[in-house]
Amino acid sequence: MEPLSLLIIGVVIVLFVLLLLHPRKGLLNFFKKSKRDSTRVLIEDSLKHIYDCEYNKSASDINSIAGNLNISTDKAAKVISKLEDMGLVDVKSNKVSLSESGRSYALRIIRIHRLWERYLADRTSVGETEWHSSAEEAEHILTDDQANELAAQIGNPVIDPHGDPIPTSKGEIKEKRGIPLSKLSVGELGRIVHIEDEPQSVYSQIVASGIHSGMQVRMTEVSKNKIKFITEGEEIILSPLIASNLTVLPEQKSDEISENTPTLIFLKPGEEAVVVGISKACRGQQRRRLMDLGIVKGTKIKYVMESAGKDPVAYEVRGAIVALRKAQAAQIFISGKGLSNV
Amino acid sequence: MKGNAIMSNKEYIIKDADDLRWELGENFHDHIIESVYNEAGAIAAKVIIQKEESKKFHFDQWLDRLVTSRLTGFPIMFLLLAIVFWITIEGSNIPSGLLASLLVDTIHPELKLLAQNIGMPVWINGLLIDGAYLAMAWVIAVMLPPMAIFFPLFTLLEDFGYLPRVAFNMDNLYRRVGAHGKQALTMSMGFGCNAAGVIATRIIDSPRERLIAIITNNFSLCNGRWPTQILIATIFIGGAVPAHLAGVVSAGAVVGIALLGVLFSLVVSWGLSNTVLKGEASAFSLELPPYRPPRILQTLYTSLIDRTIFVLWRAIIFAIPAGLVIWLVSNVDIGEYSIAEHFINWSNPFALLFGLNGIILLAYIIAIPANEIVIPTILMLTVTTVNIVGVGSGAGVMFELDSTADTAEILFSGGWSALTGISLMLFSLLHNPCSTTLYTIYKETHSWKWTVVSAFLPIAIGLVVCFFVTQIWLLVA
Repeated sequence: MEPLSLLIIGVVIVLFVLLLLHPRKGLLNFFKKSKRDSTRVLIEDSLKHIYDCEYNKSASDINSIAGNLNISTDKAAKVISKLEDMGLVDVKSNKVSLSESGRSYALRIIRIHRLWERYLADRTSVGETEWHSSAEEAEHILTDDQANELAAQIGNPVIDPHGDPIPTSKGEIKEKRGIPLSKLSVGELGRIVHIEDEPQSVYSQIVASGIHSGMQVRMTEVSKNKIKFITEGEEIILSPLIASNLTVLPEQKSDEISENTPTLIFLKPGEEAVVVGISKACRGQQRRRLMDLGIVKGTKIKYVMESAGKDPVAYEVRGAIVALRKAQAAQIFISGKGLSNV
Repeated sequence: MKGNAIMSNKEYIIKDADDLRWELGENFHDHIIESVYNEAGAIAAKVIIQKEESKKFHFDQWLDRLVTSRLTGFPIMFLLLAIVFWITIEGSNIPSGLLASLLVDTIHPELKLLAQNIGMPVWINGLLIDGAYLAMAWVIAVMLPPMAIFFPLFTLLEDFGYLPRVAFNMDNLYRRVGAHGKQALTMSMGFGCNAAGVIATRIIDSPRERLIAIITNNFSLCNGRWPTQILIATIFIGGAVPAHLAGVVSAGAVVGIALLGVLFSLVVSWGLSNTVLKGEASAFSLELPPYRPPRILQTLYTSLIDRTIFVLWRAIIFAIPAGLVIWLVSNVDIGEYSIAEHFINWSNPFALLFGLNGIILLAYIIAIPANEIVIPTILMLTVTTVNIVGVGSGAGVMFELDSTADTAEILFSGGWSALTGISLMLFSLLHNPCSTTLYTIYKETHSWKWTVVSAFLPIAIGLVVCFFVTQIWLLVA
């Protein structure tokens, strides 16, 4: 054959293979998704929704199920009657409530969902906006035994990365705690204990503003159309709608990270400072690694030298020379006399 | 009854622990580590007396400034690497030649003679002595000397404390492709031997970056492939330019291929970290230990035993069965032709699409244990299939010629063109790792998935690159 026609065939084949194997939009992935049992997914998702409504002390009906699962009311009616046949829910005057077996089924799914999120947060580099969607898939695939194995592997956690309690294998779950962020008065301190991860659009806005579970906040302004607070030295302004997805526990003692607290990148050659803390944005293995190196509250840290590539920079920490990338240095809060920024 | 009581006790304790952990919240772990460090710090402050900064400390600081400054850091690094490679290449020529003349030119004929005298059947004789023994002898002769020089030199630099500074300097580049600065070290180690490079990735403690370093190590042109590149470049690229430029141009082509490998390792690292390895855990850390005088004897011992002998042993274990296969495929006939000829005739049209030929494909399949035996296998297969008389020692007996001109003659009579040469150089860089390396990858990752990815990703890239280079070449020429 002619080289030209072969070249064209070659390009077509390469493009086809890329199309087939593309991680998210690829045909292979599409095929995998379509193979999943859609009825089972609908049943489990609606159980979860009804459970959520009960946990938040609101009612669920055919419309809320259809809305939450993004299906027609006809289909939702079919799902509900199926759930009723299976003895998982009771329907009384349009109100749908879980039966005893329905509740334990729902808790099982929630357990897997939250365990999976914890696993992703602690043991992988999957970004936080992808935790929820990945867990939405895993919860329908993992068996009970696999979930228990996973739980044992990650140290039987009791809290998911959004601050929600993880049900035990026996189906027990802790009561929720804390107050909505907007209930905190001006000047009060609180720690974020829960970030609602649905809807996705609101959650990704929260993540984009740099808010993480476990951060301490100090309220500076509460009004009808905006909520202003300071966390890890930064002032954040949220609309009340978005702020309602955040739950805080009021606190007395301040973390000492204020709007004037500099991070390690402000340290200049030869200067020395004391570590105040590590940002909550640094999590999982990376956080543990920094702490293992001795970078904890109260540690003295000194700028030693810059690499030939400018990034990373080497610091002296407890007698050892440790190289940190700029992205990491920006997550370490410091204080000290030698700092020009204080 | 008693069992029940204990169970409920256990459950009670677990429940109690869960309650406490729920109340304590997420920051509990941080507080524990903080208090451990504070306690330890307080104790250390009481019992340890700090000495004045010593002379050695100032020397360390001065040296650090020299090797990590923007002006001098990179030149020093390239210079040291170049010196290490130069010593390796120059130093291994003579011992390699001695080993080859001992194992291949002297012991091999002796063994043949002995087998003949004791009346060993011809096929056992061929299988064991021409197949298994010769493959093993070849691997030892070509692999042992460069590894025995390269690894101790590298270990000395490591022991002295210089290599972590290289990782420190190179990290900016590797960070951009989602990898770890220490990959610069494992990659350099890969220039010696990919299997050793894969083992060396143990220095990277972040799981994702380590996997990236393992999968891309094969793009470092290893010791076994340098001779192939030099030979083919001399014949096909050096031969195409005026004689006084031949040396420079062919050397430039080989260095170009090696740099292309570095480029591929960076591009593939970037691709991997943004697709299949996106979710793997990652935690950067890099400690810069103080400089120490290298312990020369200990270094020699550990690098010879841990790296050289270890890798060589694995290579020998894989070379012996390959030798058997090489002898069998060229000596077992089905109908009129041997298995090798059947395969070559069948695969030739396919191979030509990639600028290669059936012989090269077969050689890369049966010589998978070691890149060192690819050229001898190609020569043997070419001579037997084209029926050249007077060269080599028969079907299934690998050989090499001292003279480049004679080698070129064999290849030209096998129908090779400049395009075949260039395609072979590219394919030699971009193909699966040898079986020793693959086995090492499996041992290090404990995962079939990553072993398969490491094997097929470079082949796919190699075939795509060879295909487009060939077809564009044919279109233009």
